[in-house]
Amino acid sequence: MTQLFAPVNFLPRKNTNLMNKPLKTQTETMIEMIKVSKIYPPDVMALDDVSVSIGTGEMFFIIGMSGAGKTTLLKLLCSMETPSKGLIEIGGVPIHQQKGFKLAKLRQKIGVAYQDFKLLTDRTTAENIAISMEVSYKKPQMIRNRVRNLLDRLNLADKHDTITGELSRGEQQRVTLARAIANSPTMILVDEPTGNLDATTTERVMQLLTSCNKSGATVVIATHDESIYRHTSHRVMELRKGQLYNLAGGSAI
Amino acid sequence: MSFWLTVIRQVGRNLRMTWGSQLMTLLTVSLSVLIFAFFYLIYANMLNFGNKLGDDLSLIVYLEEEPGPELRQQLIKKITTFDEVEEIRFITRAKAYERFANQLGKNQDVLTDMPKDFLPPSIEVVPMKNLRSLNQVKLFSSYLARLPGTLKVQYGQDWVERFYYFTKLLSIIVLLSGTLLILTTIFMVAYTIRLTILGRQAELELLKLVGATNNYIRTPFLLEGLLQGLLGSFLGIASLYILFQWIKLRFSGPGFLNLFEFSFFPPVVSLTIISVSILLCTIGSYSTMQKFLRI
Repeated sequence: MTQLFAPVNFLPRKNTNLMNKPLKTQTETMIEMIKVSKIYPPDVMALDDVSVSIGTGEMFFIIGMSGAGKTTLLKLLCSMETPSKGLIEIGGVPIHQQKGFKLAKLRQKIGVAYQDFKLLTDRTTAENIAISMEVSYKKPQMIRNRVRNLLDRLNLADKHDTITGELSRGEQQRVTLARAIANSPTMILVDEPTGNLDATTTERVMQLLTSCNKSGATVVIATHDESIYRHTSHRVMELRKGQLYNLAGGSAI
Repeated sequence: MSFWLTVIRQVGRNLRMTWGSQLMTLLTVSLSVLIFAFFYLIYANMLNFGNKLGDDLSLIVYLEEEPGPELRQQLIKKITTFDEVEEIRFITRAKAYERFANQLGKNQDVLTDMPKDFLPPSIEVVPMKNLRSLNQVKLFSSYLARLPGTLKVQYGQDWVERFYYFTKLLSIIVLLSGTLLILTTIFMVAYTIRLTILGRQAELELLKLVGATNNYIRTPFLLEGLLQGLLGSFLGIASLYILFQWIKLRFSGPGFLNLFEFSFFPPVVSLTIISVSILLCTIGSYSTMQKFLRI
């Protein structure tokens, strides 16, 4: 199906502080992974010497089969996991060395849509989306407006007060995505965003992510859904047995 | 949205979601405060009562001979060496006779044939009016009995001893109920917060992932502990006050209780009990967070 190339080298990096600077141009580096490995006990190699640089405002696809290490890579980028080896910098900040207040502030700038959703199933859709804005003390009126806007765009307007435990998988997936982008993060990590969606909803979701990207956010999408990267002009890389391989531009696949 | 507004919303949500265990904790804290405050109130009133009884307490040291000025000074010195006293009065034979005659009133003619110096001279020692002096009055009397020229020492041995044992028992009860208050308060609050934390594990993890600061996560729990302490102790003290007023009303009139002048705590004591409860509950909440809330 696709042509594989040699493992990629990382791009030269620039020191940009995510917390202090608006990140707009693609020439600056948002994510830098240098020789990163992740080994789960006892000796499961999830990532092996991965090096990659992702520019600010770039949309980046990581593809690969189940168990290839896509989710691990995203978890490392948001510091849910720590690397066994190597360095990860987000906007010039080594994220796995951050703790406490600094890490919290950094995470407020990173929106993550998890594969297992991590929804609070006893709360309403609106409450789940609002949580990411509440932690950065946004005004209640602003939170309400933003939640309604996102629900409209994801075709979930009628689910505003529905308990998320009662939603279908596809709806839960969209709520997760809405929560990830609600706080207007500068970096969005999305794990399998279209796994449970039909073609029309997939298109809506991709439109939303593209609009976030056009507003300046760096978007990293881990997926094995070929339909969303087949015609893309953005960079696509494949993870295979913990190693990252560069593919030709999306449109060439 | 400000930090405190967010925290208050979180506390409100927590209380709504775990109201059952919160109510149990509140009742336990109230009951502990009530038990402690009840015994402390009795103890404080007993101390007050003891002080009042102490006003009339004096040790009478009967002497063989009337002491001269020099011996008087020596006796005063020896008495004050043992303990501070409020007053030392020397009663001559003549003065003792005069007092006795006054006490007999209309019947003083029975003394007609008696010599005026048949009563022994004595020293009246008035101890300090505090419980410590009252409690060691027995030791004091033994000491006075050993003074040169002493025939006998007298005081209200019986009631002083009973009172001493009663106040000692009360102080033990106050100490035990105080310990009970400390243990139950810390344990119950810690347990409730632990239940809340365990019940909200998923939410706490998510909060961390979306960038909630440690203060954002911890402060609502601390505030919950503080509220438990404040409301619990206030309820306890208020219940005791109502009980106190009821007893006063119910048992007013002639009777045993009229011997005592019962009074409620001054506001400063109530405030101290409330403050200590708040502190204990906050400690309970904090200790649980340290154990179970890995941030």
